[in-house]
Amino acid sequence: MFACTASDKATSGSFALGFLKLISATMVPLQEGMCPGLDGDLLRSLLAADIRTVEDLVSSDLEDVSRKCSVSYKALFSIRRVLLAQHTAFPVSGADLYEELLSSTAIISTGNPSLDKLLDSGLYTGEITELSGGPGSGKSQVCFGVAVHVSLQLKQSVIYVDTTGGLTASRLLEMLQSETSDGDEQMEALQRIHVFRLFDAYSLRDCLSALRRGGLLQASGGGSVKAVIVDSVSAVISPLLGGKQNEGMSLMIQAAVALKTMAKDFSVAVLVTNHVTRGGGGGVQPGLGASWSHIPRTRILLERVDRAPSGCSSTLRSATLIKSSRQPCHIKEEFDLQRQSRSVRSSSGKRKRDEADS
Amino acid sequence: SAIISLHRNKLGERGLHLLQRQRGEAVTALELLQREKECGSITTFSSQLDRALKGGLPVGKVTEICGAPGVGKTQLCLQLSVDVQVPLSFGGLEGQVIFMDTEGSFVLQRVGDVAAAVVRHFSLVAEDGEQKDAMQTFDMESILSNIFLVRCHDYVELLAELHLLPDFLRDQPRVRLLVIDSVAFPFRQQLDDLSLRTRLLQGLAQQLVSIATRHNIAVVITNQMTTRLQDSQSHLVPALGEIWGHASTTRILLQWEGSRQVAAIVKSPCCMDTAVQYHITSEGFRDVNQPENSDQPEIPLTERRSL
Repeated sequence: MFACTASDKATSGSFALGFLKLISATMVPLQEGMCPGLDGDLLRSLLAADIRTVEDLVSSDLEDVSRKCSVSYKALFSIRRVLLAQHTAFPVSGADLYEELLSSTAIISTGNPSLDKLLDSGLYTGEITELSGGPGSGKSQVCFGVAVHVSLQLKQSVIYVDTTGGLTASRLLEMLQSETSDGDEQMEALQRIHVFRLFDAYSLRDCLSALRRGGLLQASGGGSVKAVIVDSVSAVISPLLGGKQNEGMSLMIQAAVALKTMAKDFSVAVLVTNHVTRGGGGGVQPGLGASWSHIPRTRILLERVDRAPSGCSSTLRSATLIKSSRQPCHIKEEFDLQRQSRSVRSSSGKRKRDEADS
Repeated sequence: SAIISLHRNKLGERGLHLLQRQRGEAVTALELLQREKECGSITTFSSQLDRALKGGLPVGKVTEICGAPGVGKTQLCLQLSVDVQVPLSFGGLEGQVIFMDTEGSFVLQRVGDVAAAVVRHFSLVAEDGEQKDAMQTFDMESILSNIFLVRCHDYVELLAELHLLPDFLRDQPRVRLLVIDSVAFPFRQQLDDLSLRTRLLQGLAQQLVSIATRHNIAVVITNQMTTRLQDSQSHLVPALGEIWGHASTTRILLQWEGSRQVAAIVKSPCCMDTAVQYHITSEGFRDVNQPENSDQPEIPLTERRSL
């Protein structure tokens, strides 16, 4: 383990290059206000000299740049020092990391006992959890359930990014009404759910970057945010994947990086939804390909349960754990979309018969 | 923030508002609830279907109607095109409609029949002076004049029309319904490259959701059916692939059950999966146990809007 002060780093350009390997966000573009001294004029002259990202500035020859941009060497020097301090990852011992995780990680229950069983008691903050499933499999409903539970029972704010237009506030109200009959509590809970409605990949990336850069508190109006739900990531990213386009992959990874750092820095649990595609052999697998599959820490596949006898489709869904670092994979749980907060056993067959009769 | 001030010089104030709207500032769920209550919904004139949909087709969302040929998809679209124009004093939306026809199934006489039946119904039901005044301007001619018909011959024309739609909608703020009948036809006919088709459809889906939300319009799309082989059995499923299933918020499946016609809600964020029976009469899309004589029609459940 080696320690290095900022002044050591700044003495030689080659040393700074060596440190580039530890810079956690190399593709961060330079922006106004990122550090004191980086104002609009300086930013424009840097852009004119083809220096766009933090990496460019840190690895460039400062004398050369100061000549090209007619800026003082001292100003550039201090800016580079601040940027390096902001963006470098410092080595941490395993024990310290463990202590930090123990103190900062929280487990957010989803409000659905079957899902909690699959997730090893709930959504972990600092991680991304993915829900995938075909159309009508219940992904949005589960997201609503999580939002309602966090907002009502845990009394924390929720950021909900809706890209499909499926968020219906009346359904949220219905779910709240089944949990509590106090009208004020319901209104308060609704006020703690903050909704962003975006419909294309660029807006998603910009929104997530803005949230990560400190906009979380601003968006939630001061309340503490414990869950960020994105429904769904695949709707905006998959039109850009494939074919001769190059941007889709890059946008997907940028959005993923924003989500991951947001989860870690602000200690929030991130829940995203994804569609499914038919893989080889007729089985379904989550969409967005192999690159996305590394992003979420835990992945759950939702499916409809076809109980043949009932003429109308049932509200039963099955959830299968397909990726997890804590539980064995391929364990399955069933739950009823209507009674998410109770386990399947307590919603007995009597309820289903009632529905069929009415 | 930094991005806004950088763009402020280039775009000016108007562009700034556009940028902020596009970036989507956060609204709380409570505000969304109030907005949803104000939006209302479009009745289908089948009270059972309206009850199942909790009021009717939701405004501001994308609804898909799938069914085999001849089951009544276009009839339902024509009914909705007339229903959206019902005056505010009767609880309607008094809106205009854009009808994008890709199959050539828009028949003017049929719209005339449906419109005449609706006008007849409401002139019988009109109670107070306000409603009687509204009936002065609510006649067949005005109904037909509020329907903007667009004929698209292939998928390129359809995509181009949708691309130009936001400008049109800015000039015509009274539009409350967009019908695309059908979205499957041009995409199945002319596109051999399936991955390109999927990408185009996904982009189309996002465009529709964006139009529905930004301009507060109900978007209705019709889809055809296709056969899928599963476990050596064939099932009838909606066309355009499974990914297209994610495009719409609500999905209504029209199908034949023996000699009955049934409308099943198979996907909805707020309504349970239910099935109701309907039939198509000379007057349009109706419930099955509707009395045949039109002197006492069953009044669809609509809330009186407070003006």
